[in-house]
Amino acid sequence: MATDSLPPSAPPRTSPFLTPGSHSSASSLSILHLRRDQHTPVILQPSSSPSDGYIEGPVTNTRFGSFPHSTLINQPWGSQIRASEVDTGSRGRKGWEGKGKKRKRGSDEIADEVRPETEEEVEGTRKAIKTSATGFVHILSPTPELWTSSLPHRTQVVYTPDYSYILHRLRARPGSVIIEAGAGSGSFTHAAARAVFDGYPALSIQDEGIQTNASAEPALPGKQNGKVYSFEFHEQRCTALQSEIKDHGLEGIVELTHRDVCTEGFTISNSPPIHASAIFLDLPAPWLALKHLTRRIRRKSLDPSANPEPTTPLTPNPVLHPSLPIHICTFSPCIEQVTRTISTLRSHGWLDISMVELSAKKIETRRERVGLQEEGLRGVNASAANVEEAVERLREVEGRTRWFHEMEARKEKEQEQERDGAEAKKDGEPDDMVKGEMEKENDTVNGKEKEKYTSKASRLASIASRLPTRKLYKEGRLVHRPEPELKMHTSYLVFAIFPREWSDEDEKEAERVWGGREAADRRGGVEEGGELGGSGGGRKEEKRMSKRQRRKEAKRRKDADGGKVEVDGEKTDVESRGN
Amino acid sequence: MRDLIRPDTFVGLRLPSDAIQVVRVVPNTSISIGKYGSFYANHIIGRPYHLTFEVLDKSDTSPAQSGLRIVSASELYADLRDGEASTPSESNDLGVAEGNSGVEYELVGEDGEVVLRTNRAIIDDSSTQTMTMAQIEALKAECTGSGRDLIQKILGSHIALDQKTAFALAKYTLRKTKKYLRSFTVLPVDVPLLAHWILTDKEPIKIMELREETLALMGSLLNLHCTAIHSEPNGHGSGIGSGRWLLIDETSGLLAASTAEKIGVLNQPKALVPSIVNDEHEQANSDADDTATASHSIAQPFKPPRIHSSSSLAYLNTITVIHANSQPNLSLLKYFEFDHANPSPSHPLCRHLKTLSWLQLLAPEDDLAYTEPDTFPNETIQSWKSGRRGNYYRKRRRWERIKSIVDETRAGGFDGLMIATGMDLATVLHHTVPLLRGGAQVVIYSPTVEPLVEISDYYSLGRRTAFITDPPEPGSMPTEDFPLDPTLLLAATIHTVKCRPWQVLPGRTHPLMTGRGSSEGYIFTATRVLPAEGKIEARGNFKRRRVNDGNGSRGSEIVEQTLEPIGRELGEGDGTNIS
Ligand SMILES: C[S@@+](CC[C@H](N)C(=O)[O-])C[C@H]1O[C@@H](n2cnc3c(N)ncnc32)[C@H](O)[C@@H]1O
Repeated sequence: MATDSLPPSAPPRTSPFLTPGSHSSASSLSILHLRRDQHTPVILQPSSSPSDGYIEGPVTNTRFGSFPHSTLINQPWGSQIRASEVDTGSRGRKGWEGKGKKRKRGSDEIADEVRPETEEEVEGTRKAIKTSATGFVHILSPTPELWTSSLPHRTQVVYTPDYSYILHRLRARPGSVIIEAGAGSGSFTHAAARAVFDGYPALSIQDEGIQTNASAEPALPGKQNGKVYSFEFHEQRCTALQSEIKDHGLEGIVELTHRDVCTEGFTISNSPPIHASAIFLDLPAPWLALKHLTRRIRRKSLDPSANPEPTTPLTPNPVLHPSLPIHICTFSPCIEQVTRTISTLRSHGWLDISMVELSAKKIETRRERVGLQEEGLRGVNASAANVEEAVERLREVEGRTRWFHEMEARKEKEQEQERDGAEAKKDGEPDDMVKGEMEKENDTVNGKEKEKYTSKASRLASIASRLPTRKLYKEGRLVHRPEPELKMHTSYLVFAIFPREWSDEDEKEAERVWGGREAADRRGGVEEGGELGGSGGGRKEEKRMSKRQRRKEAKRRKDADGGKVEVDGEKTDVESRGN
Repeated sequence: MRDLIRPDTFVGLRLPSDAIQVVRVVPNTSISIGKYGSFYANHIIGRPYHLTFEVLDKSDTSPAQSGLRIVSASELYADLRDGEASTPSESNDLGVAEGNSGVEYELVGEDGEVVLRTNRAIIDDSSTQTMTMAQIEALKAECTGSGRDLIQKILGSHIALDQKTAFALAKYTLRKTKKYLRSFTVLPVDVPLLAHWILTDKEPIKIMELREETLALMGSLLNLHCTAIHSEPNGHGSGIGSGRWLLIDETSGLLAASTAEKIGVLNQPKALVPSIVNDEHEQANSDADDTATASHSIAQPFKPPRIHSSSSLAYLNTITVIHANSQPNLSLLKYFEFDHANPSPSHPLCRHLKTLSWLQLLAPEDDLAYTEPDTFPNETIQSWKSGRRGNYYRKRRRWERIKSIVDETRAGGFDGLMIATGMDLATVLHHTVPLLRGGAQVVIYSPTVEPLVEISDYYSLGRRTAFITDPPEPGSMPTEDFPLDPTLLLAATIHTVKCRPWQVLPGRTHPLMTGRGSSEGYIFTATRVLPAEGKIEARGNFKRRRVNDGNGSRGSEIVEQTLEPIGRELGEGDGTNIS
């Protein structure tokens, strides 16, 4: 859950999510892996920081023991770290700041113990930390996946399979700018930050001259780094996420704004245009936010109370990237939300609308052992492995029953004979022989027959004694099945695309540069001025084509046609148009 | 580049059948879209992506080619918007042609109301050109199958309507039919499109039937991301660079392309109009992030004249592919303008993609390419003919590149390992897991679950415990009981994800009736860890007390950790706790 509630230290320059380095470091987030699906995020504190009274310095306690941060800092990622003997009794002595309930317990326990007082003595104690047999953790560098599985839940969150697919469909890549609302618990935020990250913007100013864009190619001048613009209207959530962003070194990459996006939109005043090419809306009513995501908007008058004049000209929306297609995803649990969203998307001219649902599951594998050799072992159903084993066991049971019955019968007979004998005694002594015979018989049954039908207790004992030499990890059948708890439904994912704006003028210009219908017609043998198909507008455009462009066009055709076209007798180069 | 369609790039054409066709847009050529007709490449070059074009008819004046018309969003939704307000029962009345993808939403009602509504849509559309009856007849002749049936139906069954309405309706239907039958949308070729196209339209086997959602999830689980220059290099100054991803890719390069896309080295920045490239300048720039390469690359006896820098390898954000044949199969990279056999030096992959064979990895001395070619004194070289000299330098550069790749790969420290192969995974992991840094993720794709179940079993808790308790002789790995060292990977897990697409039309929202079957696609993940040396005990914290790790309610539980005393029964559903 929450990171240690220690005072935040200076914000890290870089993010352990994006550039973790090779070792864990102080003041930076690490994830302690306790066991499968149990992770504890911890911001490692240097020994000098307030330590809740532990003489060992700051300590994280888990069910597998106590881990002084000094044993966790500067370890290669992935290291297995043993728990330490931590004297909880020392709490409350050194640097004890006191925090609510902790103080209470601490002060109860410490009482009059004498503890080293000087700095050296404290350091000495810290160095002498002894390992404990309570267990270990693995120290991992944080990833959005680990964070998602361990973050403090303030809202429903978007889980890994969903956010992976969403970011994939949104084409969020290094250098992309993505808008997200609402930020909620920040699960999606972290994944989005990783997807778009291509360098630390603050550093690019600091270290001028060094290429900060991490990709192979230098960033185009004026191109901004990948960034997540995040919006959340719930104040506490916003504050909590903001401090996580800071603690995680994501400040330059995630910009969080406290805002109701449905009423106020996405424009951030006093800051450069967002120019996002990807949008993710995880809101109860995403359709209400769509009106702020049109290609053109009416600029609000500076006086917020005044209604925008209907006559104000439409201007390009600074929220959207002017030349890239915009990919949007909305994430809603209910089908009614989907229907409304899609209807609004259509009316705003979004294209390629589609909706999908993801189902993801984890699969467990195990060795399923069946057989009577498992009798009495924990968690195994000791039924016969096969028919032979079943028959053998049945025989055994049968035999024992028979033996039991025989014994019963014999006992009865004995008693009978005893009674008879008592009577017969009066008649003389011939019964001794009978008695002896019977005893002999009894011995045989007890010694030989009974041995065959071992008692349950001794059978279990022999199974248990054989256990240590068995290789259980190789026995049985290897099987797999879904984990016990399934997420049947997360949300519906609605996707749509807004292509770049394309006006008639743009089309005419493209026709002029690349040859519109007319070029094709000319290929068909019709020259300029001839009868043209298609719209009349294009023809006029053709006539207006400058000499230079005609030459270029001709040159292009010449290349394609193997040099058949002559152009004013001049040789021309294909020039860069520079646009 | 996703803003405008550039000459000579590959684009995806989504046809009315929803099939994708990938073509290269070569200027001055005609592009055929099969039964839907053909168009002139220049008619889409310089236009934005995601627009829908309608193929216009050949006119008498341009017999060779037909023109294109951009279909507006309002036109695409004309029929749907009408239906938006209608209730499901109402829309059921609209004679929807079931199972006919092209024309299933035609408003061919038997009642007058629907016709009128349709009529309204036509009148609203100012771009409609008036058509003559002759034209309609001509188009009717052209239409095939259901399209023609519809027209027949309209013209034939609405005798009651006045001539004008029937005519308008026919015109409308024709246009729509034509739109559905003869239009296409131009999509940028990126990894999502490519994956979708190959899986659905091309050869799924080529990419091991890897689904998009699986590919997306793999990227997250691998923690694939761009690494900025300011990150600390791995291994504390070992100089092997960072952001290094190791791949075993038998998906024809789809994994490599996806990795490249997510670390920002897939696309070549390209001008809209081919310009005369200032090679020197570009080279200088793209080398900026690789100054470190030069310093640790193999000392060069001569500074050979640089033809191009194929020998200079990137330091950040690199992909290393190990292949089983003498050459890797990365054929899909051609859609991103990269030919592995003959790489263009300006393509980022030229320096960021490193390939080596298993032989070069495991026994480089046995590979001739790793053997240093003879060196000659400078004077000797100068005395050679230019051909021989060029040959000499080429050979040396080739060797330098291979040696550098092999040495760097063998040095290990990779940030992640992604595998999609038909080879035995145990042998692959045996040689690659040790090459990972602690904390790195292992991600393996398999179309079927069995190979992954087998691997999970090699990392099971029981096997690991047995391994730790009685480790095999050093150097004897792999053994029969331990095909892999189970202490090197943590939390082995199998995931699967599936995307379920829905039809979302007003009043007709439901999951698609059919979908792709066969391979489900499974992902194995685990984290590379560094086991502590010596004996590790983990008896857990048996003293019941509230723990201070911020785990709140879960804190008081007592859970035994992953390492348990041998002989402890491993049943009870935690046979999978190989965490
Ligand atoms: C389900 S949560 C988002 C969870 C988040 N995607 C994650 O992965 O952690 C929805 C959030 O949207 C916020 N929200 C709802 N309406 C909003 C609005 N109009 N403007 C801004 N935020 C809003 C809520 O406060 C809530 O925190």
